[in-house]
Amino acid sequence: MTAAASDGSPGAPFSVLLCDDNAMLLETLSEVIRAQPDMEVVATACDGEEALRLAGRHRPDLVVLDVRFPGDGPSVARDMARCSPASRIVAFSAYDDKGSVERMASAGVSEYVLKGTSNRELLAALRRLAELP
Amino acid sequence: MSETAFTLLVQGVLDYGIFMLDPQGYIISWNAGAERIKGYRAADILGQHFSVFYPPEDQSSGKPQWELETAVAEGRLEDEGWRVRQDGSRFWANVVITALWDEKGVLQGFGKVTRDMSERRAAQQALSERRRLFDHLVQAQETERRRIAWDVHDDSIQAMVAVGMRLELLAERVPEAHAAELQRLDATVREAIGRLRSLTFRLHPPGIDRHGLIEGLTSHLDDVVRSSWGMTCSFDHQLDRTPTPETAITIFRIVQEALLNVHKHARASRVDIRVRSADGGILTYVADDGTGEPMPKDRTREHFGVIEMRERAETAGGWWSMHSRPGTGTTVEFWVPNPLPLPPPEPGDGAP
Repeated sequence: MTAAASDGSPGAPFSVLLCDDNAMLLETLSEVIRAQPDMEVVATACDGEEALRLAGRHRPDLVVLDVRFPGDGPSVARDMARCSPASRIVAFSAYDDKGSVERMASAGVSEYVLKGTSNRELLAALRRLAELP
Repeated sequence: MSETAFTLLVQGVLDYGIFMLDPQGYIISWNAGAERIKGYRAADILGQHFSVFYPPEDQSSGKPQWELETAVAEGRLEDEGWRVRQDGSRFWANVVITALWDEKGVLQGFGKVTRDMSERRAAQQALSERRRLFDHLVQAQETERRRIAWDVHDDSIQAMVAVGMRLELLAERVPEAHAAELQRLDATVREAIGRLRSLTFRLHPPGIDRHGLIEGLTSHLDDVVRSSWGMTCSFDHQLDRTPTPETAITIFRIVQEALLNVHKHARASRVDIRVRSADGGILTYVADDGTGEPMPKDRTREHFGVIEMRERAETAGGWWSMHSRPGTGTTVEFWVPNPLPLPPPEPGDGAP
């Protein structure tokens, strides 16, 4: 299924890697993504090491990455750009202070979604990234 | 004044030990103050070497001799340190030794003036101890608030985010009649998340512990007062010295509480903050243009906020006041000392 998703063939769902250290949230995120016909959850990770290993293995199209994440969100984003350069990352954070947003931006993450905003906004951010050339 | 009268004056002084040493350091005169401070009567001490007043460690390091040599070389020596009374107890002394020469330039001996500084030293130490306790109290409170903020963030908010996400998901799957109700529920949950988020922000404002008072207040005014509350505000500051972290936190927390009062009760559109150095400390004003009616319906909360502000200022050794005039707004004004950072405690300070 990952092969189908990551070879970019038309109609194939986008593969998504979910990274959050809160198990309840991770499970909920999975359900929300699975409910989308154009997306597919290929793996979930609850710390930086696992996230990088799974990103290297699955080369997902999209990654949802917690900012206050074991292994540090911005650092994980940087390392992910090396081990899976084609993956596009959405920051998903309970913090919206300037510092957190700027640190993610300087790690190359342009989409920043605050936890607590609607699912629609998170999904819209994921689709925007997926549709970038 | 006759020589006799002068001798009587010196003999009678009680607050200072005033006595003379011969050129070798043997005691040749004694007064009432010296007896009061050191405990020796004249008959017990005349003819003894003045090194008996020094603790054993100073005697063995040759401090008494070194002090006489310095007085000879420089005319005068001043020292503060431990001295020993006749009964063996120690006191903290200020000592001045002056070399005395005759008109031919021959050393005649030394004048020695000793003051007992024990009380002043004890008062200073009590003050330092109070400062240390205060600093510790402020830091402990901040640590606790930070911990609560993190708990709320990492646990309560995340759980509610999950609830909100599931409600939204569910709303897409149920018939439209139920969907509207679920959406209302979802909106309530998201509003609660917003409130919890601002609670954690209040508990632990980013910036204050990393960037200091002025930057901490500036970003609080930007992020909260202007952005969230939509109020106009000005911030004027003139500090001649950066406050210690504890003083900075104290000022920040009082201003934060005062601003929260303005937001909740004053019906104001504008607030002006002024922070400046005054009277060896820092004077701060928070003035709004609201109704000037300080008594809100929610008396308990107001009461708590006022008590917290006053207690913070007074615990820091300062004062706090609030004045209101109907129609012209409310001003919170407080002053806290701006002490230098405490040196680490000296291990020798606990001496008897």
